[in-house]
Amino acid sequence: MTDLLTAVTIIFIVAGPFLLVANRLDLPTVPFFVLAGIVAGEFIDPDLLLELAYYGIALLVFAFGARIDLSGVRTVLADGEFAAIGQILVVGSLGVGFGLVLGVPPIEAIYLGIAAALSSTIVGTALLQRTINSDPVRGRLVRSIQFVQDLLAILFILLLGAGTLEIGYVGPALAVGVALLLAAVLVNRYLFDVVGRLAGDSDELMILGVITLLAVFVGAAEFAGIPIVVGAFAAGLAVRYDPVDYLGLFNGLQSLRDFFVAIFFVTIGALVVFPFVGGIGWAESVEKLVLVAGLVALTAVVKPAVTTAILISRGYEARSATLASLNTDQISEFALIIAIQAFMIEALSPAVFDAIILAAAVTMVTSSLTHRYDEQIYRTLADRGVIVGRHDRVDEWSDVPDDIADHVVIVGYGRQGRTLVQTCEEMDHPYVVIENDPARRADVVSECVAVVIGDAMERYTWEKANTADAKLVISTVNSQPVSRHILSLDTEAEVTLRAPDRATALELLDAGALYVGQPDLLAGQQLAQQVRGLLDGDLTREELREQQQAELERRADYLPLHLR
Amino acid sequence: MVADVVLTVDFAIILLSATIVGFIAKQTGQPTIIAYILAGIIIGPAVLGIVETSELTELLSELGLAFLLFLLGIKMRLEDIQHVLTPIVKISLPQMAAVFLAGMGVALALPPFGLLESFLIGLAVMYSSTAVVIKMLNDKDEATSLHGKIDVGVLLVQDIVVVIILAVLAAGQPDDLAEVATTLAVVLVLVALITVAAIGASKSVLPVVFRRIADNTEVFFLVAISWAFLFVFVSDNINLFLAPFGIEAYLSIEMGAFLAGLAIAQLPYSKELQDRVNPLTDLFVMVFFVSVALDLEAAQLLGLWQEAIVAALVLMPVKFLIFFYLLDWQGFDTETTFLGSINMIQVSEFGIIVAAVAFEGGFIQAEVLGFMTLLAIFTMSVSVYFIEFNHALFNRFEPTLERWTGDGEFEGGKQEYSGHAVVIGYDDVTKNALPLLADHYEDVVVVDRTVSHIETLKQEGYDAIYGDFRNSTIRKDAAVKQADFVLSSSVQTEVNKALLREVSDDATVFVEAERVDHARDLYANGAHCVIMTPHLAADRLADYLRAYLEGEDDTLMEAIDSDVELLEKPDPFPADHDRLGGELDD
Repeated sequence: MTDLLTAVTIIFIVAGPFLLVANRLDLPTVPFFVLAGIVAGEFIDPDLLLELAYYGIALLVFAFGARIDLSGVRTVLADGEFAAIGQILVVGSLGVGFGLVLGVPPIEAIYLGIAAALSSTIVGTALLQRTINSDPVRGRLVRSIQFVQDLLAILFILLLGAGTLEIGYVGPALAVGVALLLAAVLVNRYLFDVVGRLAGDSDELMILGVITLLAVFVGAAEFAGIPIVVGAFAAGLAVRYDPVDYLGLFNGLQSLRDFFVAIFFVTIGALVVFPFVGGIGWAESVEKLVLVAGLVALTAVVKPAVTTAILISRGYEARSATLASLNTDQISEFALIIAIQAFMIEALSPAVFDAIILAAAVTMVTSSLTHRYDEQIYRTLADRGVIVGRHDRVDEWSDVPDDIADHVVIVGYGRQGRTLVQTCEEMDHPYVVIENDPARRADVVSECVAVVIGDAMERYTWEKANTADAKLVISTVNSQPVSRHILSLDTEAEVTLRAPDRATALELLDAGALYVGQPDLLAGQQLAQQVRGLLDGDLTREELREQQQAELERRADYLPLHLR
Repeated sequence: MVADVVLTVDFAIILLSATIVGFIAKQTGQPTIIAYILAGIIIGPAVLGIVETSELTELLSELGLAFLLFLLGIKMRLEDIQHVLTPIVKISLPQMAAVFLAGMGVALALPPFGLLESFLIGLAVMYSSTAVVIKMLNDKDEATSLHGKIDVGVLLVQDIVVVIILAVLAAGQPDDLAEVATTLAVVLVLVALITVAAIGASKSVLPVVFRRIADNTEVFFLVAISWAFLFVFVSDNINLFLAPFGIEAYLSIEMGAFLAGLAIAQLPYSKELQDRVNPLTDLFVMVFFVSVALDLEAAQLLGLWQEAIVAALVLMPVKFLIFFYLLDWQGFDTETTFLGSINMIQVSEFGIIVAAVAFEGGFIQAEVLGFMTLLAIFTMSVSVYFIEFNHALFNRFEPTLERWTGDGEFEGGKQEYSGHAVVIGYDDVTKNALPLLADHYEDVVVVDRTVSHIETLKQEGYDAIYGDFRNSTIRKDAAVKQADFVLSSSVQTEVNKALLREVSDDATVFVEAERVDHARDLYANGAHCVIMTPHLAADRLADYLRAYLEGEDDTLMEAIDSDVELLEKPDPFPADHDRLGGELDD
């Protein structure tokens, strides 16, 4: 067995228990890899692993690129929020300033600034996936902010490839970067399907072909003297995002990525010299700790604060803005890549490198904690008046007749909300729609007689909808906090809610709701009915198909485009 | 200007050449192993000489073998292989003795080899290639067929023997037979101990640990890998652990990896893992096959090429006959006997390793090492075709073979679903359909990714498969292609479209979708019914609102009460399904 194999073996053996702990505590895995690395660093020489770690980086960035659907980029950017850029500028400058105050050389201070400014995609997205269904506004906001940040990260990596910002490097590097991206787009358009055809039905060859594509792009980047990360990103873009045709490919890449990325993060941990326990003196340890503490404060406190402020000023509700900002309170894994790249070309001193890595590990853990308690954090801050939402936007966009009474308050203008509005209009009954999603604002305002554009968690929104005099409140929002909040409203109106599952539905009924809709229950009934019809031979599957398609078209006829 | 070149070009060249040759092989219907070996010969010193083995390629090819055996271990459920254990031992030991004699005899008959060299050649040709046979069995999905299990078992016994021989060779000339016997005993005891540890873990610790992490794909995969490496580490460093006791012993990392996999195979989550480990294995094994030919100069490789071909042409039929005779003797049916034998006719990569160690120990010349390498490459390549077309060959020769074989009395093979119902995802929607389907179909297979669901389903007597439907092993296991009825609760259009592509034309397919566009798309792709949960809920809610606003309180309260009653029903498998479904007709 080679030394290298021994090193890989040790990495995984040490990482195993750490992963179990991460899973037990329901925390992200990356910080635990780093911790495992710090432990494994006692037994192995991380230099051995650098090449493998670089494959980890390449696969990480490659997978990010491969997930990007070229034809969809425009829509993400279009409904995007360029708050990301403002936030990066402000927090980045603060980071640089912080470094300079502590006497860190300017070029290293830039790295500190980048580390503070960028947020993590792996951690952020993993956390986000749990909420994206129940809170689409915030989901879209965060995804868009992180996407812009990730693209900027790639740009930073390209620009900082030489560890300096000399024009002699930057100009040609940019040119090569653009050329690689163009090549990627061309491959995506013309060559990728050829690879697919050549591989035939063999997932093995398909994966091999795509990894080769990665190797070629990385090789091109290396040959041209720019960071391999840029090559890996371009290679990712060259892969057609088509999980239907290339199902096996995307599953396979996931395994490869998980394997090598684990090596990367553990290796990073192994490179860190831990304060006080490593072979460094007291003064150095303290200096390192100060750097870590500063970075953590910048990332976990200042960054969300700045983001919240920017989002509120752009017209978002205080709550959405705060919750979305709390998704950005960690250091990005891209910052880790930038740091290790700089460390390798000695543009970054070990102390600053260690500080960035440790701060990243710490903020990834704190971030999942703030995410877990985000609603409470917002409540506390709002109740103490730290975050003051402004109502002028709500007033400006909303339109509710002053004398409205005995009306129906409809929360959410999705499929259900839309159908309910139609019912009210057919029956000529007064109603108010409460909607919070800026993307739907134009539709709601143009299609509905009375609307409040505001957050259902905010008291002012309900005042605005004159809920005190309402006859009925119907929430179509699949969110436990919103449901609870509605039940606690001071009104005579009866309440119907929506629940994601049976247990919640029963709870809400107990808590006083008139009715709780649980879509799955209805769908389950319908399904059973149709299955029985088929199995008993009451209708043939062709008849069922025709009947269902007709039903679909009937439904489609009265749905607006964005809800189909 | 940029950092020191960190990524070696060698690996990129290996990837590129393997891909190109692989594509050509695929287009011309050749097995990929051949493509990889060829790529290695082309880029290696024998032809172009542009790539040398590096630490990285060495690592990846070692990992390739380890992962191949790990993957194999994951597929071996003890209850499935218990019944072939005795025949395997009875086949493998005489087989090796016979092939050893044949190999030594052939070598003695060839002019360049002396007695010692012939003896070592005999030792080196006894084994069949784990890499080739298992890769081919995996590719053909035959690893768990009866002949697959026999071959795998024999290969593992050979693996133990090879470990012993390597240990003896590495120690230099053995002093006496007693030393060989001690080594043998120590290795056997160690293998037994590790097996007991692995099986013990699979009964005690592993179920608890894996149950907890099974719902987290990344952690699940990496912890399993970590478990495999633990065994690799122990096997590899066994000598260090035993040194204080004054015992010297070696185990192969492949053996460790296999036992680690074996422990996981006994858990209900092993299917899912197969698909996760497969891509890594493919990539690493590719490197292994490419690097087989990377070490040798053309002169060394081809110095004794005529002898190598003669030896290959004699040894392959001899191996086949020996296996054929032994399998038949153990009472396997003609087909199993034929397939089990034809798969094993090649000389193993271990032959090269044995020769390499003998070369370093000063027992043989470089030319003999080249001879062994060429012999292995040549027989591996030829045998790949025999394995690829083994069924066709059997059909062609079946009448002839029947005359030579005894009656098969061995039962085996695995059951396959057909004409059954497949339900993807167990949730509030699909669970209503399960009892209906169970009444109508003999087999209802439910695929789900949540451990507790699988447990509930199994208690209720359904066939439940733990895993992600996106994985091909899972789809194969549920036999989607043979299903008569498929119900998918996934709202991901790509999953449903992939499903529609895979099912047969005669199957009835129910899927779910969230948006009208998606539903249209799915109908266009052949779905028979697309359930649209949000739209249904919207319609229902609108009906209630209308009733409410019109003041029809009685009707409304009645409807609401019946919905609430349904909600309160705790039984996930309502025995009385007549009362379900009758209420939506308004």
